[in-house]
Amino acid sequence: MPALLEVRGLWKTFGRGRGALPAVRGVDLDVERGETVGVVGESGCGKTTLARMVAGLTRATDGDIRFDGSDLDGSSASIENRRRIQMVFQHPAQSLNRRMSVGAMLAEPLRLLAGVPRSDTTDRIEEMLGLVGLDPAFRTRRPRQLSGGQQQRVAIARALMPDPDLVVLDEPTSSLDQSLRGRMIALLRRIQELRDVSYLFISHDLGTVRRIADRVAVMYLGRIVEIAGTRQLFEDPRHPYTKALLSVAPTMDLDRARTRIVLEGETPSPTDLPTGCSFQDRCPLVFDRCREESPVLTLVDDYREVECFAVAPSSGS
Amino acid sequence: MNLLEVDGLTVGVERSPTSILANVAFSVPEGRIVGLVGESGSGKTMAALTMMGLLPDGIEVRSGSVRIDGRQLMDPETMTVERRAGDMAMIFQHPQAALNPTMRVGRQIARVFSLQQGCGRDEAMSLAIEMLGRVGIPGAGRVARAYPHQLSGGMCQRVMIAMALACRPRILIADEPTTALDVTIQAQIFDLIRDLVEETGAGVLFITHDLAAVAEMCDTVTVLFGGQVMEEGSRDDIFRRPRNPYTTYLLDSVQKEVDPHVIEAGVDFELVGCRFGHRCRYAWEECGRVPDLVSVGAGHRSACFLHAMEENGAGAP
Repeated sequence: MPALLEVRGLWKTFGRGRGALPAVRGVDLDVERGETVGVVGESGCGKTTLARMVAGLTRATDGDIRFDGSDLDGSSASIENRRRIQMVFQHPAQSLNRRMSVGAMLAEPLRLLAGVPRSDTTDRIEEMLGLVGLDPAFRTRRPRQLSGGQQQRVAIARALMPDPDLVVLDEPTSSLDQSLRGRMIALLRRIQELRDVSYLFISHDLGTVRRIADRVAVMYLGRIVEIAGTRQLFEDPRHPYTKALLSVAPTMDLDRARTRIVLEGETPSPTDLPTGCSFQDRCPLVFDRCREESPVLTLVDDYREVECFAVAPSSGS
Repeated sequence: MNLLEVDGLTVGVERSPTSILANVAFSVPEGRIVGLVGESGSGKTMAALTMMGLLPDGIEVRSGSVRIDGRQLMDPETMTVERRAGDMAMIFQHPQAALNPTMRVGRQIARVFSLQQGCGRDEAMSLAIEMLGRVGIPGAGRVARAYPHQLSGGMCQRVMIAMALACRPRILIADEPTTALDVTIQAQIFDLIRDLVEETGAGVLFITHDLAAVAEMCDTVTVLFGGQVMEEGSRDDIFRRPRNPYTTYLLDSVQKEVDPHVIEAGVDFELVGCRFGHRCRYAWEECGRVPDLVSVGAGHRSACFLHAMEENGAGAP
C-alpha cells in the first residue's frame, strides 16, 4: 500500500530571473497513516514552504504530491482532499478569525467541507472542545478572550473538526511559553491515538520534535539532508549539518558529555548557491568532490537516508 | 567580589497597590554569568529595565538599591537609577528593532565612542570597525556601512554586542539575546559572550525563559515568579537539587507532562502572600504570607514555608 502522503521531486521557486529564490529544491518525503513526521531546520530552509505546498496553500513549481493515491495540485484540490488535509499555523492569534465565536469557527469547516447542516454541529463542537481540553462554555468566546495556549487549542480543534487524515502543523508550539509546550504535545499525541491521524510537524525546536515525531527530516537550504527514525537521528546523527545542529542545541542535561561543533558563518543566500553541495562553505568534512557535484539522499542504513559524499560516497546523482 | 548588587527592589504600577517586583535581590560577581529566569510575566525584563533606567511611564520604583562596586546608583529623591557611562550596557531580544534603522551600523557604534571618549569622527569610526571585527564580523569595514535591515538577525545581534562593548561596561545585561536567532547562530553568540567575560572580566546578567540556555551559559541562577525571587543557587543546585516547589515545577514542565491546572492559572498579581500559592500543590494557610528566602545549602536559598517545616522534622503536608 502506498504511503498516505507521497512527495516526489518537489520544487518551489519564488520570483524569476536573476533574483529567483528556490525555497524548496527537490524534496522527496513520505508520511504513513497514523505517523508523525517532523521537519526541522533553521530560518529560510524551506520547511514552511514545504508545509504550505502539502496543505495546498502554495502551488509547487515542479514535482508531485500524491495523497492517498491521487495527485494533489494546490489550485485544484477537491473539496474532499481539502477536508482530509488540514493545517495549524504558528500564530493562533493571526490564524483565528477574531470576529467569530469559537463555536462558529468550529462549525464552519463542518458545513463547508463535510456538508453537515448547521443544526447538527452543536454536539460535535462540544465533543471536540472536550477533546482539546476546553470547557463547552468556550463556544461563545471570541479569540481575544482566550490565552495563547487556549487559542492554539481552538486552532487545533478547528483543524480536526472535518475529521482529517493528515494535519500539517507549522511551528504550533513556538508562540507558547515553554511550560505549555509539553501539554500541547501530550494533547496532540492523545488525539493521534484516538483518531489515527497523521501529522507533518514543522518546527525549529528540536526538543519538541524529539518528543512527538516518529521520523525526522532535517532540511538545509531547501533540501532534506538527512531523514531517519527519531531516536536514530537524535542519538546518532550522520550528516555533518545534523551533527552540528544537535551538538549546539542547548540542553538541561548537565551530565551530557559532548563536543560542540560550532559552524562558522551563516547559511548562504538561496539566490546565490555555490556549485555542488550547498553546505560546502560551512562543512567541516568538505573535500574537492563537494565543490563539483551535488549529493542526493542515499540510504546508509535501515530507514536512514543522508545526502553527503563524506558519509555516503555513493550519493552522487 | 560582587560587581552588581541589587537589593530590596520593589517596582509597582503608579496609584495601584500592585507590585510587579516585590523585594527582589540578586547579585553578579566579576567575570560570572548569572541567569535570571522565569516565565512570561515573572518580572525579569522589568528588573533589567529598572537597572537601565528605562522603565515605561506609569511604572515606579518604590524601594530598593542598585550598587555597582559598592557605589549606590539609586537616587533616593527620584527613585531612578543614575548610571555612569561604563556601568552597564544592555543587549535586547530583537536586535533589528533595537538598532536605529536610519543610521549605518558603523556610525551607531562610532557615536558611542564619540560620546564616551570624546574622540573625533574618524577615530571613532576606526574604533567602531575594530570593535565589529572583535565580535566576529567578517569584512567589518563593509558591514559598518550597512543599515540594520541589510543584515541578518545574527549579524545585528553582533552589532548590538559591539555597541554594548563600546561602553566598556562592568555589567552586560542580556535580555533573551538569542531567542530570535537560529540554533547554530545562537551557539556563535553564546561563545562570543563567554569570550568577552573571560577577556574583560565583566559580569553578565543573562535574562531568559529558556532553561536549556541557562544550563548552558550560567554559573548561578535566580528563579523569579510573579515578581518574587523563589530560589537562587549555583547551576548545579538549581538543576540537580531544586528545593522550591516552583523551580521543580518549572523544570518538570519542560521535560514531562505536568498538572494542567498549575500551568493555566498564570500569575495573579492581586494575590497576597506567595505568588505561586494558588498554583502550588503544597499550598496551605501559611502561604497567605510572603515566605523569606532561607538558606537551604551553601550559596543556595529558597523562599518557601516548607523549608521551616522540614527543619522541624515534619514531612511535607
